[in-house]
This record gives sequence, C-alpha cells and structure tokens, in this order.
Amino acid sequence: RELLRELLSELCACLAARSEELQLAATEALGALLHSARRGAVLALYRPRGLPLLGLAVSLLLGLAERGGARHLKVSALRCLQALVLQCDCPQHRPLREDELQQCGDLFASFLPGISTALARVITGDIRQGHKPTVAAIRLFYLVVGLVMADAQLARVPPNKEKPPAEQSRITELTVHRGPDWSRSTAEKLSLLLRKVVEFSSVHPHWKVRLELVELVQHLLRSCGQSLVGSFSHLLKALVGLVNDDNSDVQSRSNEVLRDIAEKRIVVQNRALADVLSENLHALATALPRLMNSQDDAGKVSTLSLLLGYLKLLGPKINIVLNSTSHLHRLSKALMQVLELDVTDVKIVEERRCGPAGSLQLGLLRSRHQRKYFRFFTEEKVFQLLQQVCRVLGYYGNLYLLVDHFLGLYGESGLYRKQAAMVLNELVAGAAGLGVDFLQEREVLPNVDDLKGSITSILDEYTDQANWYLTTSIDAEDASPERPVQGPGLAARAGGTCGSLLLSPEPQVTTHTMNSNIWQVCIQLEGISCFAAVLGKEFRLLLLSALYPVLEKAGDRTLLISDTALGTLVDVCEACGYESVQRLINDNSDYLVNGIALSLRQLEHRAHAAQVLDTMLRHSDASLLPLVEDVIQDVLSTLDQSYSNQASVFLGVLHSVMTALVQWFGSSDQEHREGSAAERQSGALCQEPQVVTGQEMERFFLDYIKQKQMAEGDLPDTGGEADEDPPLAKLEPNSSDPEGETPLPSHAQLAKDVMERCVHLLSDGSLRVRLKVLDVLELCVTVLHPHRNHLLPMAHRVWPALVTRLISDDPLAVLRAFKV
Amino acid sequence: MALPPPDPQFVLRGTGAAVHTLHFSCGGKDPDVPVLFSGSENGFIHVWNLKTHRVDAALDGHGRRSVYCVETMGSKDRLLSQGRDQRICLWDLAEGRTSVMDSVFTENVGFCRCSLLKLAHGRWLMAMAAKALGEIQVLELPSKTSVCTLKPEVGAKLGMPMCLKLWQLSGVSQPLLLAGYEDGSVVLWNLSMGKALSQLVCHPEPVMSLDFDLEKAKGISGSSEKVLSIWSLNEQQNLQVYKTHKLVNAGISDITIRPDKKILATAGWDHRVRIFGWKKMKPLAVLDFHTATVHCVSFSDHKSPGERLLAAGSKDHRISVWSLYAQT
Repeated sequence: RELLRELLSELCACLAARSEELQLAATEALGALLHSARRGAVLALYRPRGLPLLGLAVSLLLGLAERGGARHLKVSALRCLQALVLQCDCPQHRPLREDELQQCGDLFASFLPGISTALARVITGDIRQGHKPTVAAIRLFYLVVGLVMADAQLARVPPNKEKPPAEQSRITELTVHRGPDWSRSTAEKLSLLLRKVVEFSSVHPHWKVRLELVELVQHLLRSCGQSLVGSFSHLLKALVGLVNDDNSDVQSRSNEVLRDIAEKRIVVQNRALADVLSENLHALATALPRLMNSQDDAGKVSTLSLLLGYLKLLGPKINIVLNSTSHLHRLSKALMQVLELDVTDVKIVEERRCGPAGSLQLGLLRSRHQRKYFRFFTEEKVFQLLQQVCRVLGYYGNLYLLVDHFLGLYGESGLYRKQAAMVLNELVAGAAGLGVDFLQEREVLPNVDDLKGSITSILDEYTDQANWYLTTSIDAEDASPERPVQGPGLAARAGGTCGSLLLSPEPQVTTHTMNSNIWQVCIQLEGISCFAAVLGKEFRLLLLSALYPVLEKAGDRTLLISDTALGTLVDVCEACGYESVQRLINDNSDYLVNGIALSLRQLEHRAHAAQVLDTMLRHSDASLLPLVEDVIQDVLSTLDQSYSNQASVFLGVLHSVMTALVQWFGSSDQEHREGSAAERQSGALCQEPQVVTGQEMERFFLDYIKQKQMAEGDLPDTGGEADEDPPLAKLEPNSSDPEGETPLPSHAQLAKDVMERCVHLLSDGSLRVRLKVLDVLELCVTVLHPHRNHLLPMAHRVWPALVTRLISDDPLAVLRAFKV
Repeated sequence: MALPPPDPQFVLRGTGAAVHTLHFSCGGKDPDVPVLFSGSENGFIHVWNLKTHRVDAALDGHGRRSVYCVETMGSKDRLLSQGRDQRICLWDLAEGRTSVMDSVFTENVGFCRCSLLKLAHGRWLMAMAAKALGEIQVLELPSKTSVCTLKPEVGAKLGMPMCLKLWQLSGVSQPLLLAGYEDGSVVLWNLSMGKALSQLVCHPEPVMSLDFDLEKAKGISGSSEKVLSIWSLNEQQNLQVYKTHKLVNAGISDITIRPDKKILATAGWDHRVRIFGWKKMKPLAVLDFHTATVHCVSFSDHKSPGERLLAAGSKDHRISVWSLYAQT
C-alpha cells in the first residue's frame, strides 16, 4: 500500500516534468500501475487521507490533457484519468460495490469542478486536435458526472454533515458534503458546462463525437434523472436533433436511446422532466413560425424533427400540455402558420375537365401526383414531418379535445380553414394509429365509437353547405359539364344567382380565393378518404352522408377537384371493401338517389344534383336502372316546371342519361335483335301467321317512313336512319296483341319520355340549348331504334320542329340537325 | 310567416310496388336497430333498417297478394301481417328467422285492417272483419279462440266494416271497439255484451280510416269525401259529432294521431300528407312529395321525442320519412 502511494507520488513528479516523452511514459506507467494494483490496495488510497495525493495526480493529468502537445499524449492522459477515477472500461475489473461507489463519489465530488471545467475546455477546444481526445474527454466527462451526481448516491447522502473526526480535520475540509444545496448549485454549474459541450459537439464534424454525445445523453439521463433535470432540455434537444443525423450509426443509436428512454418511461414517471419537455415544446412552438420563415430547408427539417421528438418523448403525457390553453393555442397557431398553402398558382383554376370522358385511372394518376405547395417550404420531407407531428398528436392526445379545438380554428377564420382541415385529417389518422411512428404504445386504445363520433362531427362540418359549396371557378356553380362556345350573359347570370344564394360574401372572386377554395375542397376530400381508411367497413354507415358530396365533386369541372374526388372514391372503395367504384356506386345508389331527389326539390341545389347523377351514370352500369329511372322521372317533372331557366343544366343530365343508356343497352339490344331473329326462324313453322303479321307491320312502317320522308321532301336527311335498318322484324313475335302497344322495356320508355321533352326544347331561345337538344335527340333515336313502333310516332312528332330548325337556324345547328 | 314545408329526411325506395302499410318499431334498447316495416302491393313485407336506410329482410308470406296491414306484437321480433290472400300471418323474426308461425284465415275479401290490443303479457285481442257482410270477429291471440262476433242489428244497413280500432281504458278491463262502416257511420261496440253502444253517422261516404284518443275521449275519421269528422265520446258512452274539418281535396286513406296526442297526420288521395294540431285541428303543414296517392302514414315510437319520425307510404312505390315538430 505504501509502495503504491510512493510510486504514485513518484510518477506524479515525473508527470510534472518538461519532456513530452517522459510525460507520456509516466502517464502510461500510471495507467499500468492502477490497472495492475489490487483493488483492495487501490481502494485504500481512496480514503479522505489520500485526497491531496490524488488531487495532485488529477490536476497534473488534466493539465496534460488540456495543454499537452501531442494528440496521443492527450488521449493517454485522459485514459489514465479514467482509470484513476476507477471508471475504466477494461474487462478485467469487477464492478465496484455500492458502498465503494458511494465512497468514491464522495471523494471525487471535490474534484468535480476542476475535472468538469477542464474537460469542457478540452471538448470545446480546437477541432484540429482530432476526434479522439474529444471522444475520450466526453466519455470521461459523463462518467465522472454520472458517478458524482448519480441519483442513487445523492439519495443516500445524509442531509447533515457528519462530525469529522478531530485528527483529520485539515483533510476533511477538502472533502465535500454532497447535500441538497451542493447538488443544486453543482447542477446549475454543470448545466452551463453541459450546454456548452452539447452545443459544440452536436455539430462536431466527426461522427464519433456525435455518437459519444448520444452516449452521454443516455448515461446522464439514466443515472442522473433527478439531479440534472435542469440540463435535460439541452440534452434532449441534442438527442432529438441527432435522430436526423447524416450518419446512419448516430441516427440509429440515438433512435435506440430515444426508444429506450420512452420505454423506461423516464418521462412518464418523472413529472419534472415532463415539465421541462413541455416548456421546451412551448418555446419551440412559439419560435416555429419565425424559424420556418427564416431557416433553410435543412434547418426546417431539424427544427421540425425536434418538435416531433418532443412530442414523441412526451408520449401519453402530451395531454398535460394539451390541457393548458396557452400551450395548445401556441402549438395550433404554429401549425396553422407553417402549413399555410401557396395559392398563387393560377393553373389550378384554369385547368378544366374537358369533355365527359374523365377516365378513372388517368384521374387517379394525376391526383396522386398532385402536390401541395406551401408558402414556407418546398421540401417534401418537411411536409412529412409535419404530418408525423399531427399524427403523433392524434395518437397520444385526447382526440375530443383536439378535434374540438381544431374544428374551432376551422370555423374561426377562412385563413386557417385549409390548414385546420389538414391537421384534422392527420389527427384522425394518427388517432387510429395509421402511419404513426411512435416510441411507446398507448395505454388506452381508442374506442371505435369515439373515433366515429369525432369523424362524424368533422364530416358534418366539411360537408356543411357553407364549407362545401365554394366558388371554385367563375362559372362553376352552373354545372353543365360542357360549355363550349361562350354564352357569357347566361353563364354569369346562372353563376351569379347560385353563388349569391350559397355563400360568396364578396361579389369579387379573385383567382386567389378560388385557388384557395379549390384546395380546401381537395383537402376535405382527402379527409374523407382518410376517414374511410380509418374506419374501414364501419365507414359504410357514413356513406349515407358522405358519398353524395364526393360524387358531386367528382363531377366538378375543376380538374384538380374532380381528380381528387375520384381518388377519394377509390380510397373509400378500398376501405369499405368494395371491389370497384362501380360496385360502390351500385351498392349505394339508393343513398345517392335519395340525395338527388331531395336536392332536386331545391332550386339552388339542382345543379349539384345534376352533377351527382352525371357522375353516377358515368361510373356505373345497367343494374342501376330501376332506381335511376325513378329519379329521372323526377328530373323530367322538375324540368317540366322550369323550362326557361334551368334547361341547360337538365339537358346535360339528359345527355348523360342517354349516353349511358346507349352504352348499357346498345349491345344488349343487338343481342335481343339477334335473339328475336332466331326465334322468328325457329318459330316460323308454328307461328307463321303471327310472324307474317309482324313482317307485314314492319313493311307497313317502312313504307310509312318512306312516305313520310317523301312528304317532307327530305329524303337524304333520314337516309342515315334508314341505312341502319336491318331488314328484320323488330316486333316481338310472341306478343299476343301485335296491333296494340307492346310494353316497352323501361329504358326505352325513358328514352321516349326524354324525347318528348326534347320536342318542346327544340325551339328554345338559346343556341346552345338547341344544340344540346339535338345531341340528346340523336341518342334517343339510337336507344329507341329497336322499338320501331314507338319511335315512329315520336319521330313524327319531332319532325315539324326539326324541320323548322333545318330551315331557319344558325349553320351550326343545321349541321347538327342533319345528323339527327 | 310560416316556414316552407320541409323536405323528407330521406326516402326509402325499392319496394317495387305501391306501399299500403307502414309500422315502426324503434323503441328497442340501444343495440337494437330501429326498423320500419312496410307492406306493399306485391305481397312483400320489407324490414327497413333505419340506420342504413336499407332493406334488412323481405318477407314473402301472402302469396304475392297485397299486404295491407302490418303490426308488431310487443317487440320487433313478433310481427302480424294481413294480406289480400285473406290470411293474417304471425311471424317469428327473432335471430334472423323469417318464418310464419301461425296464420288465421279471415275469409273476408274486403280491405279492412285488423286491430290489435294487448291484454296482458303474451295475450292479445284482435278484431277483424269476418266472412259475413258487416260482421266483425274478435279473436284472442295467440290461442286463436274466438271471443265474440259482432253483428249489426237486423235492418241496419251499415255495409262492410272499413276500419277498426280496439281500445281499452287503463284500469277498466273492458275492451271496446270502434268500427267505421261502409255507409259512413262509426259504431262503438261492447265486446263482452256483443252489442253496439252507440252509432254515429259521420260521413255520407265510407269511413276510410279512424283513430281515437282515449285520454281526450275524442276520435277522428276520414272518408272518401272532403271532410274530416271529429267526434267525442261522453260518459254515457255516446258518440257525438264534435266538429268537422273541410279539406281542399277529397279522399283520405289513412289517419294517425301521434302517440303523444299532439299532432295527427292524414294520408290524402291528392298525393299529400297533411299535418294538424290535434287539440284544435289547426292545419300545420302540407307535405308535398309523393307523385301518387298516399296510402298510409305512421308515427314512430322512438323513446326520445327528438328522434321521432313520420313515414308515409304511397302508390308511387316510395316511402318518405320526415322529421317533424320533433321538439314540440
């Protein structure tokens, strides 16, 4: 023992020598000595009595580490020092016992100020010294601090200093009593040092330094959770920041540590730490808009990942933050400002769905590629981070509270509406645990009913008339899907009346507001698809209220909106387990028809109803007919009531109806025709008289039509019609009463009804209406084609009106009329 | 100024035929879905789920002959239906079953709806038009034992019974029957004595429908002409005309007083449903939605008044469901 002491003091003397070689040799020798000495002997040294000697060694080594010239000397000194404080990581030593640790802790407490300041200087020293000394210094720093400030040890320190034995009084003066006062003041000082260290090394160019910093954070958080609470904001900030480090090792390690912290529930159990975190969050939320405004993209990413990290760490404790109004307010305002969209792009307003052939697949592709442009950032990563922030909020937070708050913001001002909708969408997704990257599981899984309640209320808000029917284009409100050559007077009038009826507080609609409205509708549509994804098959119940608005938007003339709506349809399909959009529409056609019928009753909503019907027909098939028939009768009767002003809207619908009919029944009629032909041949033997009757009738009609054409003096015009006639009987041979009216299939009946309306509309004042009517008429004729004996009387009725058109109208109409 | 009449809350489509009768069953506890039964001309009884607004089940038990009366017996699992195939069927709908448990052959070719009255748990009284002209038979269900047959006095030309209403003052155990006849008179029958207590000629035309409010001892009847007749019953059990109300268009096919006795609805041949305040017969609303004769109206039995609904079934194959004066 004495030998050890002597050797130690000798070596210390050598350390103080001038020559570097000697210093190096001495440190190495000292290290070797400490390593090889028996534990018992070494420990004997660590009595208060050995304090002066140890102090000398420590200060000399520190001096070397700090001022030593060569890099390896520094490293060696630091390693030696590590051995000296009995924290070396060599495998051959057994770990110290609790009481021994306590003893050492007491002892080293006196060195702590010196060691920590010196090490901090080393760490923050010149970068040119290379990474090794820095790494070693950081390690030593956290080991020492962790030893002295360990919660476990401090807890055992008696509050009052023991009476020192009289004989050792001089030495005892040197020792430090680690009472509560001492630890508080030390923690304050250390916090300053830590801050410096963290700030410096978190941006250190070498990755090993940053990795070591992660270790430091972990070690200190684990062992000094109570004593060093004050510094945690910096530590965590560093840690969370390092999650997004360029180096994958650092990244994964810090992730691991974060997860570890969360799992150990350090935050959850430690109220003080949670307070620190929420303070940080508050500060960050306050600064966020400013930072997002000023930083570059990388800076924004790191700021946001910091925010995200705080939220994740808080985990279930997030509700404490959210329950405080000021916190919630700050946070939401920050999100609102950051998420502000850039609505200057004029293209969106300009892009129109051209023609009715909006192919589903194409639309999907487009809508998936459509990006949002934000005012404050362009990088996709930033948006993803913000998304995560919202989702984590939704995941841990009290959904009712959040939804309520953000719905409040949504309603508060048009300025926040889009952002709030975006946040709400993400919140709900997060609450359901969709796409959330979380650190610890929630204790309580959300109740599906709660979720459904929230979603229903959001949905109601979204599809509220004031929020759903926004002016998205100057003539968007009048919904005729095609508006070829301008009729400015009519367009403005129709748009104007509807617009003022709906909302449009200011008559002046700028491109800006339209653009913003378009985005809002899109975000709301995205919300609906998100809700569908969250609820899965449960969403089927909500289709009752949601499907109609979506289809309405799918018929919108703004490209972006209709594409998004189609995307939503597909998402809803998937979520609810329908195999195709067609299936979705067919299965829920009752809901849609209901909506259409009710909207038709209200003047200002007719245009929307027409849109829905249009979309419905375009994406569906013949099985829809029985229901649609019902509603088309409604349309026709409404049309009968209001020929003058809404004709063009309804004609659009009629046009799509007829197109659909032609599509659905064109082929089946073909079959039917062939079928009846076959029947005729097979039945020729037994049913000859009847067939003859049929043929006679057909001949009669053919003659009739020829005669009629002759009479009208217009043979070539109807030539096209006559050409299509296959020389086969159209009358059903089995019909018991060939002279009377055979009962028409419903689609033909519809066509007939439509045709009847057309007769009246042919003489409409507006050219566009007339053109449209002619289009519809053409389709009607196609549908009715197989039912000659109904078509002909109709044709007869149409004829006079048609002829008038031919004689006295614009060339364009004449051209179209010829086609008919 | 009066508000314009509202739109229907929703419209049920898909019965595929004219709707002749409707009956709600919404009083169940929470997991129970509120349902609406509808009977239509093609012989189907549709069970509408009022949450999804869709048909849960379609019951076919009357050989494709028109169903003109549907009632529940206690819960929505026990259903009674009456059809033009001259049968009254008792259904068991529990646990998804759709089977006819029992049936009664009425031998009556008219379209007089039967009337049900709960006597005690599991015991019901049912009045129905019998085979012989003008006769009414009262049965006990489910045992199907005949309680009495009510025959009009010899010489009284009442014609066929058109509508029936069995009722019983609580406490007084004696059930009474109100019957509207083809000649326009309403007769109050005592079941135990099997004799008419009072007779009142309300209409010159057949009585199409009647409803009775036992609290106020007042009833209302409608016929194929333009007048609604309100009559009261005094302590001596005599029917007296209380007042009449003239309508614009003739023909009432159904009258129902809401269970809370505040408003009543009439189904008109003029395609309209009319709502009146019951106390003073104040006209409240004209619901114009259907495009053909309205055959029946029915109020729901929701527990909370806010959810209460009115349904109207029409010849145009649609059932319109309305939410009206729910809070009053």
